[in-house]
Amino acid sequence: MQINDTLKPTEVALLYQAHHTWLRGWLRSRVGCSEHAADLAQDTFVRLLRARQASPLKEPRAYLSSIARGLMIDQFRRRALERAYQESLAHLPEAEVPSEEHRLVILDTLGRLDRALHQLKPRARQAFLLAQLDGLSIVQIAQRLEVSRVTVERDLAKALGVCYRLRYADE
Amino acid sequence: MSDGAPAQAQVDQAIDWLVKLRFDSPSPRTEQQFQHWLASHPHNPLAWQRVSHLSDELAGLPKDLSRRTLDTSQRQRISRRDHLKLLGLLAVGGSLGWAAREPLGLPQLLADSSTATGERRQLQGSDGSRIQLNTASAIDLRYSAEQRQLELLRGEVSLDSNPNDIRPFRIDTRVGPLATLDGQLLLRENDQGLLLAVRRGEVTLFPTSAAPRRVQPGETLQVWANGSFQAVTLHGDPWGWTDGVLSVQQMPLAEFVAELARYRPGLLRCAPEVADLKVSGTYQLADTGQILQLLSRSLPVRVEYRTRYWVSIGAA
Repeated sequence: MQINDTLKPTEVALLYQAHHTWLRGWLRSRVGCSEHAADLAQDTFVRLLRARQASPLKEPRAYLSSIARGLMIDQFRRRALERAYQESLAHLPEAEVPSEEHRLVILDTLGRLDRALHQLKPRARQAFLLAQLDGLSIVQIAQRLEVSRVTVERDLAKALGVCYRLRYADE
Repeated sequence: MSDGAPAQAQVDQAIDWLVKLRFDSPSPRTEQQFQHWLASHPHNPLAWQRVSHLSDELAGLPKDLSRRTLDTSQRQRISRRDHLKLLGLLAVGGSLGWAAREPLGLPQLLADSSTATGERRQLQGSDGSRIQLNTASAIDLRYSAEQRQLELLRGEVSLDSNPNDIRPFRIDTRVGPLATLDGQLLLRENDQGLLLAVRRGEVTLFPTSAAPRRVQPGETLQVWANGSFQAVTLHGDPWGWTDGVLSVQQMPLAEFVAELARYRPGLLRCAPEVADLKVSGTYQLADTGQILQLLSRSLPVRVEYRTRYWVSIGAA
């Protein structure tokens, strides 16, 4: 097992020189705005610095565009969440509206939860929300979803595993 | 791992413990075993701390607000992903045959609509979108599980999409396809290509041989057949006809006459010596004969009827 399998900064620099212009053009043809494309291209290379594999050197453009595509989707998702959050805040009774500062903390946590939920199958998603948001026990969730206790336990562990990776490994 | 972060095995164990302790009613014996686990490896306390912190954070979320946000975002997301998919495919292929390639495609022909010269028509799509056809125009309208699709076959159309339907709208024109998630837009074929105006929402134009362009509310673009495009300022309100009027400001008479001619069968000619006179005002399209009459009163021109279908406008 390799101890350090991330790309070396010099390798990333080489990739940058060779493919940055191409990537920006590729992104521009998709997002239709050159500034936005430039930002996303930049983010792609930042992500590459943290990527834990050496494979990009073999098929650099395929690899870069798959990271960039992921970033585009993340961004769409994040915007959808922010919009949904603003809408939901507007529906809240005044007494329940959190303070400005707390609002950002909540949005941040929701953003991570949302990304995690996205990686889960519908049943695991439902079980996890019933446990974490609604505070139901495993027995109650098993009854509600008409599955066994063991299945619920497995779903919850799976969901927490995804949350953990997003929180501590991905960034 | 070099920095002392818990290994995957310890994280997995910590997660199993958390599920048992937090979402179940643990027996004293279970808790004892947990304490034993915690002390059994130097990295276990950190793994436990991280995992329980994650769960605490989520448990601290306000329930109603979070539920509502996640549900709404989930619903919107479907459309955004479709849109992204649509944009991606359009950007790559750009061909018109794409609906047929969709697995769930099998688009159902719901409406083929056209208008005669001088006629205007309002339609409502099965998705609740409002569509208006101007004179001498024709469209195809198709709906599938993934998308809504309008093809402008000839003339001019305005589309006001129903925002409650999350399927993306694809619009095919002779200068290339357009896409929108939700928007109000106007498309008009002309000699040079296509005029595109956007009133609401965001529309992405995919010209046949140029990079895509987002068009924002308030923008009006002329798109040429070769794919190039340019923002334009018009001598009138392109949306006027949707309210049954021709609304112009300082429009050269030749252009005004050409505009009027679209709504009249037969020939309508403007002599070169009066072509540059300027016309301003709002005219009811329902009676183009009356508009001609009004012209002869407000401008130094004479309207000559050779036949009902051959009208010339010259100097008075």
